[in-house]
Amino acid sequence: MTVLGKGAAGTGKWFDDRLGASKYIKKSLNKVFPDHWSFMLGEIALYSFIILLLTGTYLTLFFDASMHEVVYNGSYVPLKGVTMSQAFASTLNISFDVRGGLLMRQIHHWSALLFAASITIHLMRVFFTGAFRKPRELNWVIGTLLLIMSILEGFAGYSLPDDLLSGTGLRIAASITQSIPVIGTWAHVLLFGAEFPGTSIVGRLYAIHILLIPGLILALITFHLLMIWYQKHTDFPGPGRTENNVIGSRLYPVYAAKAGGFFFLVFAVCALLGGLAQINPIWLYGPYDPSQVSAGSQPDWYMGFLDGSTRLMPNWELRAFHHTIPFNVILPTVVLPGVLFNIVGAWPWIEQKLTGDRGYHNLLDRPRDKPRRTAIGVMGISFYVMLLIAGGNDIIASIFHISVQTITHTLRVAIFVVPPLVYIATKRVCLGLQHNDEELVHHGIESGTIRRLPTGEFVEETVALPLSYQLTIAGPKGLEALESGHNGHGELVPAGDGPVEERPKPRGFFRDRTIDRKEPIRPEATMPPPEKTSRT
Amino acid sequence: MSDEKSIRDRLRSPADTSEANSGGDSRGSDVTESSFQQTDSAAVLAASGHDEEQRGTPHIPVGQAGHARHEQLSEREARRAERKVAGLFMLSVVGVIGFVVTFFAAPFKFAEPNNIWFTPLLAIFMALALTGIGAGAVLWAKTLMTDEEAVQDRYDFASPEDARTAAGQAFVEGFEASGLPRRKLLRNTLLLGAGSLAILPLPFLLDLGPYAHKERLFRTTAWKKGVRLVRRNGTPIRLGDLALGALETVYPDVPGGVFMPDTPTMLIRMEPSQLTPRTGREDWSIEGHIAYSVICTHLGCPVKLYEQQTHHLFCPCHQSTFDASNGAKVVFGPAARSLPQLALALDDEGYFIAQGDYSEPVGPSFWERS
Repeated sequence: MTVLGKGAAGTGKWFDDRLGASKYIKKSLNKVFPDHWSFMLGEIALYSFIILLLTGTYLTLFFDASMHEVVYNGSYVPLKGVTMSQAFASTLNISFDVRGGLLMRQIHHWSALLFAASITIHLMRVFFTGAFRKPRELNWVIGTLLLIMSILEGFAGYSLPDDLLSGTGLRIAASITQSIPVIGTWAHVLLFGAEFPGTSIVGRLYAIHILLIPGLILALITFHLLMIWYQKHTDFPGPGRTENNVIGSRLYPVYAAKAGGFFFLVFAVCALLGGLAQINPIWLYGPYDPSQVSAGSQPDWYMGFLDGSTRLMPNWELRAFHHTIPFNVILPTVVLPGVLFNIVGAWPWIEQKLTGDRGYHNLLDRPRDKPRRTAIGVMGISFYVMLLIAGGNDIIASIFHISVQTITHTLRVAIFVVPPLVYIATKRVCLGLQHNDEELVHHGIESGTIRRLPTGEFVEETVALPLSYQLTIAGPKGLEALESGHNGHGELVPAGDGPVEERPKPRGFFRDRTIDRKEPIRPEATMPPPEKTSRT
Repeated sequence: MSDEKSIRDRLRSPADTSEANSGGDSRGSDVTESSFQQTDSAAVLAASGHDEEQRGTPHIPVGQAGHARHEQLSEREARRAERKVAGLFMLSVVGVIGFVVTFFAAPFKFAEPNNIWFTPLLAIFMALALTGIGAGAVLWAKTLMTDEEAVQDRYDFASPEDARTAAGQAFVEGFEASGLPRRKLLRNTLLLGAGSLAILPLPFLLDLGPYAHKERLFRTTAWKKGVRLVRRNGTPIRLGDLALGALETVYPDVPGGVFMPDTPTMLIRMEPSQLTPRTGREDWSIEGHIAYSVICTHLGCPVKLYEQQTHHLFCPCHQSTFDASNGAKVVFGPAARSLPQLALALDDEGYFIAQGDYSEPVGPSFWERS
């Protein structure tokens, strides 16, 4: 036994005597993780959260969450002598007088943007591949909650410096709170401890930002990962991949090295952004002042869709019986995100209702194979993107010299017209891709070689698509078809001679999958040349 | 047709990898004893035959055409790969040295020359240090570590039917053993007692802010009858101080009036003929001078972008647009109410004063407002 082996065994014994850990460690080190680039998106979210914790902890050592007014006397000359809150002054201090503080601040801000972005894109990956299906519905809900948390956390965070931009954002938040029917004014004074802005909000947001929400996020991430661990990761269809296995690399050492290395790469990107791309230059905005604002005020990207919906909304307000319900405020800022996130969170159950499919699914869908789900997803993205565009309408107006009014009026119509068109187009594209796949599976790849038959007939030779590709394309259903045609000698034979109607046809919501409708896969196209397979 | 060739190669690859991977793995056999089964690779699995029948999977090769791995590398190639990884790891050392030197030696204070290079340099060295370790680890895993495609069976986490029944049974039995279903008094007082606990946090919540007179907060501002309009620097404004077409942000001449959230007001001067006062407000403006609240009636942003020619006031937050010449009525955007107008007067010395507070609440709508 080597020294290393002895050491490991010794340490292992110590822990095993006390915790019985060896069994679990042995099992865990051998745990198999499937490999696909899209599975790294969630990793980016996790890593950016770790970076946020590291940089955020450092920032708390210097940040002073007080709205007490001071006269700035730091090294940033243009603001010398200006009255500002302690929070703003300490943020200036971090940026100009703490060595490397600006880098930390900017890495923190960039990784916050990355955190929300990677969660969003990870959510799309999970949606379009059907990874949320049974048994993973709970993890989908946790993911949705994490997305909401990341947005709230980001908003609370960028409101802390008490600069002009974030103060404007806070004022909007205060006004939205105030507009909520019945409880609005109560919520406003209780949240701010006074009429906006009061002197408490930065301190309260600080507690929320560094304790409450990070704690919740940490707890949710823990559950998220535990469930992934316990339920095992999904995988795409492919050679050897079935509903009942996982194929990939073991946790130790390959997966650990790759995932660990990837953490450092994500951190490196955040560091580069934090040092080379200026973000939230609060010294240019100046301290918050209720009577000041700068043109082109834009929130961080994850708030943009709500800003957009607010800008698009017509000025409807209901006044009756000495009360006011400002629909122009609560519909786009309270009702819309509420409905949106509820639909997202409930999607696994909505889809179960639509398809009647309550089975276990460990193999992922290719988006094209579920045209309606994919179309709904892309439709949702188009809706979101239009809100984002609306959120930047003033910027777009000044860059492209279009009037803000034109953009807003156009988007008010487009937001209802474009998503359905996108739905139809996406569905057509998916079906087209399916037809293309089907063509490849059934007829192979065009080789470009023309052969003349003895009869004088010209035919083009096709090359059978490799088995691995066929399996990827055909998915689990196709796998079954191929299995049924397996003759036990490592060769594939025609998948049954029975009439086509005997095979189950997809019905309902996912009836658009064309590949299952057609005749069984032709043997001459699928069968790999025999001398190339059975060499084991 | 290089594509075609590579596809043919892929077809051939399973056989190659199965030979390469059959080197045996002491860990794998251990694992099969545990609750789930694991074998070295599907290729081995397929070669062993009996597993294949058990699992009912066809002889489908697992091998992927991938990177040149450890097994396929000659000793020379492996050493070259090792040197690459080592080079990346050393990059981290370079990065850290650069970072530390920059951190302590480079100027970073705002007043110091060349300070603008400090943060970018720090970031570049930091990224180098992180990339070295990160990229090194990934390359290491991809070139030098075992290229196995491990197969692990999923297990069924659903409990057998009798276990589910037993769990439900245990719950029901425990509930009955507690006596709650039978003892009505116990149950009802427990519900009442636990329910009343929910009230405990409420006093704390209610004491977070001054709700007692909250509506007065939203309905009133510091403007009062006779209060002078002053500029940001505190100087009052006399009739004629403002040029035609100008806009000046003014505040009430009270202590702290400049920083209040609801008092900022804009004093605008235009040709009196261009001004259409609203009914009942004919005497609120003086010789083309008119004053509106700066605070948007939509979501409270300062509406300060003034277009002199059209007399439009534009809110940069959500683009609500108000017509200053026509009672600040909404002409575009999501705002539903006109900007509140401040009634102007002149004091004995000819300075602008307010006739009183705003006649309606400043800022966004709220439930209690009619």
